[in-house]
Amino acid sequence: MKVYDGSSTGGEATETAERLKVGIAEYDVTADGAELSTSGLGSCVGVALHDTETGISGLVHVMLPVAEEMRDGKPAKFADTGVELLISEMEERGANIETTEAKIAGGSNMLDFSDSDKSIGDRNVEQVRKTLQSYDISVVAADTGGDYGRSLIFESTTGELVVKSANRETQRL
Amino acid sequence: MKVDVQSLGTFNQLAHEGAQAATDAMAQMTGIDTHVNVTRITLMERAQLGEQLAGMSLVGIQFNFEGGLTGETVLVFEREKSAAIAEALLGEGASEEMAQSSIEEIGNIMMSGFIDGWAEFLETSIEHDPPTYVEGEGEAILPEPPTDTERNQVFVFRSEIQWDGEDVSFYIYMLPEYEPLTALMAEHSGASEDAIPVEKLAAFNEMTREGARQAAGNVEMMTGIETEAEISQISFAPIEDIPKQFSDEVYVGTVVEFVGAPSGFLLVLFDEQSAITVAEALMPVEMDSEELTDQHKAAIEELGNIMTSGFVDGWANVLQQSVEHTPPRVVHDMGRAVIDPLAAQLGQFQQHAFLIDSKMMTEELEFACEITALPNEQELREALEQLDLDRTTETQADVEDIFGA
Repeated sequence: MKVYDGSSTGGEATETAERLKVGIAEYDVTADGAELSTSGLGSCVGVALHDTETGISGLVHVMLPVAEEMRDGKPAKFADTGVELLISEMEERGANIETTEAKIAGGSNMLDFSDSDKSIGDRNVEQVRKTLQSYDISVVAADTGGDYGRSLIFESTTGELVVKSANRETQRL
Repeated sequence: MKVDVQSLGTFNQLAHEGAQAATDAMAQMTGIDTHVNVTRITLMERAQLGEQLAGMSLVGIQFNFEGGLTGETVLVFEREKSAAIAEALLGEGASEEMAQSSIEEIGNIMMSGFIDGWAEFLETSIEHDPPTYVEGEGEAILPEPPTDTERNQVFVFRSEIQWDGEDVSFYIYMLPEYEPLTALMAEHSGASEDAIPVEKLAAFNEMTREGARQAAGNVEMMTGIETEAEISQISFAPIEDIPKQFSDEVYVGTVVEFVGAPSGFLLVLFDEQSAITVAEALMPVEMDSEELTDQHKAAIEELGNIMTSGFVDGWANVLQQSVEHTPPRVVHDMGRAVIDPLAAQLGQFQQHAFLIDSKMMTEELEFACEITALPNEQELREALEQLDLDRTTETQADVEDIFGA
């Protein structure tokens, strides 16, 4: 029996598609230049990884900082396990992490009602950076924080991350 | 009959498995890759079934099933997309007749997978009739929900499947008969202290409807805009699927955190055009603006506050608990991004969430508004435990008495 782990249903078969949508707590990897997109990032963070040598690229849309706090078996939902999962899937497809760089966006502080010092958005961004650092993957561009939502299109052929918002100019990272 | 949160979670996963099996069957048989976008279980009034399909011209297939579960199910998609589907199967230049048979074929493949997915999960057998081709407008395409003289609310399992790389969505509606479903849910329930009597969930739904009526009344009082339809439903889904139920379209509205029993978040959201319409109805001077200005936002803030109070007071009265709320925060952003941080805040403590939503609209003007509550799951459960069913039945007889209108 299959067990739904909240991650992408992608795999070999989806490779011919030109545009792959990545939902919340999902990821996808492409080795053939597909465009990866995700929408509606509030406090969530989109992590886009691109191997500059092979072109293998991946995108994960994480929701919460640390998997250990919830233990619900959906690695792509969390910043730490989500980034780890994306890296291992990319490596499996032939990516080299030594030539892989990261671009991240999201982690807005909008509508944070919590009493704690740091918003979920900030904690998500912090955890993503920490996990990437543990693999020595550098974050070459970021558009995080603020109080507005974002949608992303990751052009895997160029490694360009397009960040769209409702009331702001589109950013190209 | 009681269902617990664990069994709702199990059934949600089950519906997801079914939809997943449908997409796998599709990929295997046709090479068309799809993925499951959203799966949710909803309890709603039978008359309001299928509002998601409003305005669409649809085709698809339908069949009955029986065994471990009994009921009817349909798979539909927009008629205008059928050419793309026929082309994927048959190549270019397929006739209309061939297109219809390819729809039947695809429907058959996916829905056999869907039912097999359920049966496998339940370790039981589910038989089904051969599918029949259906076409129709909007919600009229759905089968009549199972007749049930005892209750006017039905459980519906809904999945939305997206064709990768194409703008084509398949909608699966599964309408199981109430008794076999709830019996099966009770069978699959875990720790009993989590259990919610199904009747209370239904009663809560009706209360929410009254809360929405109260909010709609406040809108009419302030703006003169009379809203005509209110839809109220309670859904249950994994927390990460909650934001997916909102579109990327830009909305304007208010968000509050409410505290009490239960606590959670309440959103009042208008699409941009509706926000302008309703805000201008509130303003003393004619604006005739096409853009949303700060004055519009101030008016929306005021209106959102009053609608929120009406809604929350309705709950508080029936639950006989005090429910306080923070001052409204005005939002103007993509719907999905607005709900995302709220779901994340709850997601720190719970894996699934109840989503309670009400919609109001009017035919005369371009106006639609959604009120959505995202309560803390455990607190909602506790509140329902305390809920006196006799008191909620009073809401039907004398709404004003309960809600203090």
